[in-house]
Amino acid sequence: MIVYTVISKGAFIRPRNIRNILQSTTVVSLLTIGAGSLMIAGYLDLSLGGIGTMCAMLAAFLLRAGVPWYAALAAALILGGAGGAFNAVLVNELNFQPFIATLATASITQGFTSIISQGKQIDIANPVFNFIGSERVLDFIPYSLIISLFALLIYGVILKNTKFGRSVYLIGNNAQAARLAGLRPKRISYTLFINAGCLAALAGILLAARLKSSNTVGITNSQFAGMTAAILGGISLGGGTGGMGGALAGILILNCFNNGMTVIDVPPYWQVVASGILLLIALTADFLSARKRAAN
Amino acid sequence: MEYFLEFKGIRKSFPGVQALRDISFRAEGGRVLALLGENGAGKSTLLKILAGDLSADEGEVVLGGAPLSFSSPYDAIKAGVSVIYQERQLIPAMSVMENIFAGALPRNSFGFIDKPRLKKDTQAIIEKFGLPIDPAAPAGRLSVAYQQMVEIMKAYRRGSSVIAFDEPTASLAEAEISILFKLIAELKREGKIVVYVSHRLAEIFQITDDIVVFKDGALVKTFVTDETSEPELIRAMIGRDIGDTYANLSRNTEYGETLLEVRNLVAKQVKNVSFSLRKGEIIGFAGLVGAGRTEVVRALFGADPMISGEILLEGKRVEFKSPAEAITAGLALCPEDRKEQGLVLYHSIRDNVSIPVLSKIRRFFFLDRKAESALAGGIVDKYSIKTPGIDKIVVELSGGNQQKVILGRWTSDQMTTKILILDEPTKGIDVGTKAEVYQMMCDLAKQGFGVIFISSELPEVIGVSDTIYVMRGGRVTGCVHRGDATEESILSLAMSDTVKTERGDAK
Repeated sequence: MIVYTVISKGAFIRPRNIRNILQSTTVVSLLTIGAGSLMIAGYLDLSLGGIGTMCAMLAAFLLRAGVPWYAALAAALILGGAGGAFNAVLVNELNFQPFIATLATASITQGFTSIISQGKQIDIANPVFNFIGSERVLDFIPYSLIISLFALLIYGVILKNTKFGRSVYLIGNNAQAARLAGLRPKRISYTLFINAGCLAALAGILLAARLKSSNTVGITNSQFAGMTAAILGGISLGGGTGGMGGALAGILILNCFNNGMTVIDVPPYWQVVASGILLLIALTADFLSARKRAAN
Repeated sequence: MEYFLEFKGIRKSFPGVQALRDISFRAEGGRVLALLGENGAGKSTLLKILAGDLSADEGEVVLGGAPLSFSSPYDAIKAGVSVIYQERQLIPAMSVMENIFAGALPRNSFGFIDKPRLKKDTQAIIEKFGLPIDPAAPAGRLSVAYQQMVEIMKAYRRGSSVIAFDEPTASLAEAEISILFKLIAELKREGKIVVYVSHRLAEIFQITDDIVVFKDGALVKTFVTDETSEPELIRAMIGRDIGDTYANLSRNTEYGETLLEVRNLVAKQVKNVSFSLRKGEIIGFAGLVGAGRTEVVRALFGADPMISGEILLEGKRVEFKSPAEAITAGLALCPEDRKEQGLVLYHSIRDNVSIPVLSKIRRFFFLDRKAESALAGGIVDKYSIKTPGIDKIVVELSGGNQQKVILGRWTSDQMTTKILILDEPTKGIDVGTKAEVYQMMCDLAKQGFGVIFISSELPEVIGVSDTIYVMRGGRVTGCVHRGDATEESILSLAMSDTVKTERGDAK
C-alpha cells in the first residue's frame, strides 16, 4: 500500500480513491460471506456470480414490467435462494462434487440471464434502487457498502457465537464425526448454499442498482474474487478454519491491490496476470499452513 | 556373515518431550524382534526413524555393517528397509500386481508396461506365500487383511532386508492374523530382519524371538521370548503388576428392565439380527472383522439406513433416520475409528464434548461459553483426562485420553444417554489404559447404562461382557453367557465357513 502511495504520488490515498475502494468492496464482501462460509464447512460454490447476475436481471425485468420495487427485490432474493437450494440438492442428494455441480449451475444461470434479458441490457429507473445504489452517507460512504459491512458483521457473529456457526466449523473439519455426534451436516449444507445464493442475488442487485442497469455480464465469475479474498483472509479451501474478520482483511487487501494497480497505471491485461499471482500466493500460504497442521 | 540391524545411541527430542533416550540394541537376520511398550513409550518414533520419516538427533542405525543415512522414506526403501504401517499405503484403483511392482514395473522393448511378465512375476510371489489373491484385482477391493498381505509382498518384491510392522493386527480378526503370521514365518525363514510392534502380548509370544521393552522413551530391557513370561513383560512395560485384569473388575450384578430390543434387523451387510439389552447390562458382539457388527450398530444408531426390522426402546417402537434422532432418544455411539469418526481432531476438548448439547448451552441465540467450559472441565475431572486444559486440541491427546473425551461427551449431566455403544474402544490403547476402560464400562453399567461392546479381541469381549452375541456373515450365530463362554466356543461360532467367505472377498 505504501508502495502504491509513493508510486502514485499520493493519489492512492486521496479520499476519492479510497471512496472507490470502498465502493468496490460491496459486491466482493457479499460474495465473500457466502463463498467463505461454504468454504469453512468444506464446500465451494462456483455459481455465485452466475446466480447473482441472473437475479439482478430478474429484478430489472420485473421493475420494467411495472412490479413494485419490494416485490422485485423479494423475487430476486427468492430466486437466489432457489439457485443455492438447487446446488445443495445436487451436492447432498445426488452426491455430485460441489466443484462440478456448481460449475453446471453457473452455466445454467448464465443461460437464464440471457433468456430473461434477450441478451440485452435492461435499464433500472426505480428511485429506491437508484437511491440504494448511488447515494452515500455524508457524501462519502455508499449505503450499499453499509449493507455489506453490516452483513459481514452479522455473519461474523453468527459463525463465532451460535450453534449454527460452531456446526459449520465442526463439519468443515470432520463432517462424519460431527454427524455421529448429533449434528445434521445436510441441513447445514442446505442452509449455507441457500444463504450464499441469496447473498449473491443481493450483490448482483446492488451492482445493477449502482449502474442503473442490469447487463448479462453483471457479477459473473465474481465468486472467484470472493474466494480469493476468503483465502487471503485465512479461510482454508480444506475447510474448518478462518472467519469473517480475516475475510474482511482479505477483501481490503484484494481491493487495495487491484485498485492500486489502476492508480499506478499498470496495463489492464497485466492486472489480470497480477491478480492470478496474488491468488497463487494466497493458495501457497493456505497450503503451507495446512501442511503445518498435518505435521502435528 | 551374520546379518543384523543395529541401533546405536539413538536420541530424539520434540519440543518439550524427550521421545527417545540413548536407544541401543540389535536385531538379527532370521529372527523376529518385538518392540513392546505403552503408547508414547517411543516405539513409533523409533519406527519412523527407521523408515526415514524422522531423523535422529544423535546416534546411528547400522544395517549389515554399514551406517544408514536417510533423508526420506525413499532412501530407506532403497537401502532395503520397508515399514508396513497401520494405514494401508496401496493405491486402491490400481491392480494388485501394479501395486506390488510400483516403481519397478517391467517394460517391454517398446517401453510400455510388460503386462504378461508383470502378471507372471506377481503370481510367483503370491504363490510363494500361498495366498488366494487375484493379481489383476484392484487393491481397493480386497479386504483389509489382504491389502496388508499385498503390502508385505510389495516389501518382499523390493528385496527389503528389514521389514517392520506397526501394529499389523490392529484391524485384523483372528483368522486373518494366522495368515499374517504364516507370512512373517516365511520372511523369517528367508533370513529377513523382522521388527514387530504390537500391544498384544499373546501374539508376541506366538511369533517373536526377541523382545525389546520401552518405557518413556528409554529401553527398559531386552528379553529372549522363550525365557520370559507375560507378567514379567507387563511389569517391565508399566512398572507394576496388573494381575488378572478381568477377575479384578468390579462388575454390576443387578440388571433392570429391558432397555432395547432389536428384532429381525436387516441392513447393508446385516441379515436378520435380533438381540436385547437390559439396564445395567453389558452385551458383547464378537466376530471377525467384516462380520457385520459395526453395520448393526450403525443401522441401529441411524447412521446407515435400516432396510427392515423393529427397534423397541423401552417398549416403544422407534426408528432413527439420523444419528441426531438416536441421540435425542438416548443412544450414544463411540465409533471404531476414533480419529476419523469419533472426534473432530483439530478442535479442542471443549468443542468436542459439547457437540450433542450445543442447543442446551445457549443463552438466547448465543453459545454460553461459561456453561460450555464448566461442562468440559467437569468431564476432564471426572475421567481424569491427562491434559493441560480444556482448550487442548484433541489430536494432541493420547488414544486413551481421546477415548475418555468421547465417553465423557456421552455421559455428562447434560445428556440423557441410556444406551452406550462402544465399537472397539480399546483399539490402539496400551495395556494399562485398557484395564481402565474395562472398569469404566463396568461402572457405567452400575450407573444403569446399557452397554453394547463390540470387540475383535476375544479375551476382552469374553472377560467384560455379561452376554456375548457372536456374528458371522451378517448373522448372529450364537448367544453365550459369560460363564459359559470360552475362546474356543466363540471362535468356532465366529469362524465356521469363513475360509469360503474369505476366498470370495479376495476375488
